[in-house]
Amino acid sequence: MLVWSRSGRMLIWAAFALVFGVLFLAPLAVILLSSLADQWNGVLPSGLTFEHYTDVAQGAAWKAVKASLITGFLASALALVSGTWAALALRIQDATLARVLGVLFFIPSAVPSVSVGLGLLVAFSHPPLLLNGTIAIVMVAHFVLISAFTFGNVSAGLARLSPDFEQVASSLGARPAYRLWHVTLPLLAPYLVAAFGLSFALSMGELGATVMVYPPGWVTLPVSIFSLTDRGDVFAGAALTIILVAATLVLLLGLERLAGRQTR
Amino acid sequence: MSVPAFTGSNVMDVDAAKIRGAGSNVHFDKVSVAYGAHVVLHPLTLDIAPGEILAMIGPSGSGKTTALRAVAGFVRPASGRIRIGATDVTDLPPYERGLGMVVQNYALFPHMRVEDNVAFGLRAQGADKALIGERVKDSLATVGMSGFSKRYPRELSGGQQQRVAIARALAVRPRVLLLDEPLSALDAQIRRNMVEEIAKLHRDLPGLTILYVTHDQTEALTLADKIAIMRDGRVSSHGPTTELYRRPPNRFTAEFLGRANLLPVTVAEGAAGPKGLAKAKLGDAVLAGAGRSEKPGDRTLLCIRPQHLSLTGDEEHTNRIVGTLKEVHWQGELTHLVLDVDGTPVRVSATRLPVSLPERGSAMPLFFTPGDTSLVPEDVRG
Amino acid sequence: MADAAVLPATPAARRAPGRFWIVPPAALLALLFFYPLALIVQQAFLDDSGMANVAEFVRVLHARFFLNALINTITISVAATAGCLIVGLVLGLILAFVPFPGSGVIARLIDTFIALPTFLVTLAFTFIYGSAGMLNAGLMEVFSLQAPPVDFLYSTWGVVLAEVTVYSPFVLRPLLAAFSLVDRGQIEAASVLGARPFRIVRQVILPAAVPALIAGGSLCLLLTVNEFGIVLFIGAKGVITLPLLIYSKAIQESAYQVACIIAVINIALSLGLFGLYRFAAGRLGV
Ligand SMILES: Nc1ncnc2c1ncn2[C@@H]1O[C@H](COP(=O)(O)OP(=O)(O)O)[C@@H](O)[C@H]1O
Ligand SMILES: [Mg+2]
Repeated sequence: MLVWSRSGRMLIWAAFALVFGVLFLAPLAVILLSSLADQWNGVLPSGLTFEHYTDVAQGAAWKAVKASLITGFLASALALVSGTWAALALRIQDATLARVLGVLFFIPSAVPSVSVGLGLLVAFSHPPLLLNGTIAIVMVAHFVLISAFTFGNVSAGLARLSPDFEQVASSLGARPAYRLWHVTLPLLAPYLVAAFGLSFALSMGELGATVMVYPPGWVTLPVSIFSLTDRGDVFAGAALTIILVAATLVLLLGLERLAGRQTR
Repeated sequence: MSVPAFTGSNVMDVDAAKIRGAGSNVHFDKVSVAYGAHVVLHPLTLDIAPGEILAMIGPSGSGKTTALRAVAGFVRPASGRIRIGATDVTDLPPYERGLGMVVQNYALFPHMRVEDNVAFGLRAQGADKALIGERVKDSLATVGMSGFSKRYPRELSGGQQQRVAIARALAVRPRVLLLDEPLSALDAQIRRNMVEEIAKLHRDLPGLTILYVTHDQTEALTLADKIAIMRDGRVSSHGPTTELYRRPPNRFTAEFLGRANLLPVTVAEGAAGPKGLAKAKLGDAVLAGAGRSEKPGDRTLLCIRPQHLSLTGDEEHTNRIVGTLKEVHWQGELTHLVLDVDGTPVRVSATRLPVSLPERGSAMPLFFTPGDTSLVPEDVRG
Repeated sequence: MADAAVLPATPAARRAPGRFWIVPPAALLALLFFYPLALIVQQAFLDDSGMANVAEFVRVLHARFFLNALINTITISVAATAGCLIVGLVLGLILAFVPFPGSGVIARLIDTFIALPTFLVTLAFTFIYGSAGMLNAGLMEVFSLQAPPVDFLYSTWGVVLAEVTVYSPFVLRPLLAAFSLVDRGQIEAASVLGARPFRIVRQVILPAAVPALIAGGSLCLLLTVNEFGIVLFIGAKGVITLPLLIYSKAIQESAYQVACIIAVINIALSLGLFGLYRFAAGRLGV
């Protein structure tokens, strides 16, 4: 509607295709291609193979996928509970305190992930709070980093929820707990699912804090991708990256369908 | 916290007929509400009798919703008490007040089917299954929505959603039904139908006490037994509907409830006779109208509704004024005329016109019956 | 209870009893986040014997490696943010105002980049722009060169390009939301009156986009200052940023106090940018 001439529009679309292609499409395509590449010394690989996938499948891949999925699931679930709890509890605080606490709950998202990892190492390396060297410290790191996103998503959902629903429920005789379970939470469900999906995706890709705190034997996908490429095994790294992307997308799409059904 | 007796009796009250006899009165006792330093409801004292429909009407921001929400328990009065029946509910949470509430955008729970929406209150109060099933059927039948129980709210039209919202409120057998602008989200045509349906609902459930908040005078005039007119957080006037319309106690009421011509007059003779007619002078004309306690010499207003002005005179229409014809708007059933009477624009709604209408700018007489007019004091505020 | 005017009309449902529900999540966050954060600050200012000591702090502040990392971090962050704003604006304008079949799908695709790990782009870039990558191989073949001609990837600019790819969706998202509110009728009226597209963009569209640009831009500043994966994966010797420095001091050199000192500065910088973002987003209602 802004550009009326056909040639002008074509020109603009060509520019769009160039930027989009170079910045967004090329990286994905190249990662996919390299995960399947036999040898790659020229402009294009010399041949295609599934070898890298079978290699990583025999190697650390499944352990890494498992570690990432379990970490992502537990950290996201905990973040969902705590973020929803915090967002709901903040509504019954007085306004000033709610504002201050609201900012505090957001701060973890602003701090560099490496520092979060460093802080956990400093704080939890001695008894009685000895987490260093355990799987739990990875979960804690992921939980801290994603908690702000769940909190933010749920708060946004609550802000958009018309107070009428809850008030009508109360006036009909629903006590707070009944109202929460049968009205507020079901109405928030799409936001809860979205929050869970986003946190899960963030956790799957988390590197900075994980690389600081992970114990041997709990190597997540990003960490094993880094060690593969650091060793020069870039094709295997690419294959594992594709597995990571696929797992993340399957998860997000699945959750999106779930959310769609909820709000249908 | 212990469950007050009425919550239990609400649920236990299997006899659907009971509601037809037993509504509760609502009593506002000097209830005031403030947001910070901003007083939005000045000490309000008001009674709604059992089985009465009280329409609270007034311009936007006048405090109607605030008063309704004080009854529902969503705003805490800064002072004063609210009683429903024999219970002082001022300190009770909303869920222990035994009310039904319907809001402007219905607020049907989108994730529940119609029947679950209607059953919500009873389930929340822990009623038994058989009772719930019966009440849901009953309530849906009352609003004519029996065929829709399996639908989701989004599959219903606005008017249908509003009926379900009313059924949901009725299912708990509320002691008082609170309606906050229930029809203002609907189209004009559907709104007219719904007004009639609510009137019918009240004929079927004559014991139900209703607080009906609206800014629409037609809804109020059609439905209400009594009307309270709100202005700037205060009750400007309160009384039986016909009474308020016929004999508005002040200018604001006269203008807000229906359309009114208000002519500045000087009282010549105080109210007298069986009809309580007073005499007042407008220029040279001496006019008679229902008076209160005006004394000769008082300056006041003579209120005449546009439909009470006639273009032809006979024995009944003994009052007569003369004005200059300014505008004529023909609207099919009615013709609206605007005349200038001593500098005051006067509106006339005429069903029948004389054979020939004088030209614009020329003088013409208007006739009206003394019984149709009343003297209204000018508002004593800025 | 006498004076009606001074008492607040607290909604009854929001009165007292629920106040303490906030304690469990707040306590959890305090233990797992704010307590470690406090320890970092404490470590930064205590020497081995546990005495308060700023000497080490001052020393690190003046060290070459620290200053380099600080300058790198800020340069990369500012340049990448500028890039994100330009890319986001261009893509957003086209997607919103010169749409094509499938532009909705493309917009969503770009949006999913937010959910993907940041190092993915770096890894891809090494295949494209790396010394043995597609571009260099192609150029060497066509022009019969002996050495790879393109080597920006292992410089600051490689990091900047990768960050632009990763973070421009954060500008695009609020921008598209803002554009969807622009009155189409106004644009059509302006073009009927003969206004050129650039004029319409400047006078009608851009003013509506300013809040989104400011919010998106300050978010980009924050995220690029904190970025770790991209820099780690490029692994260029000369491109060390503050987060990378914290990692290498703590994990590779076990110099925890130095790591804590750098972390304190990094966190202070981030929180400052976070404040800017909140201020911008709050002021502009994004
Ligand atoms: N939550 C609130 N905070 C502050 N002021 C409010 C709040 N709710 C209503 N008000 C004010 O109270 C006054 C009365 O509002 P309301 O009762 O909703 O009026 P009505 O329903 O008659 O339109 C208005 O001036 C409104 O601005
Ligand atoms: Mg209102």
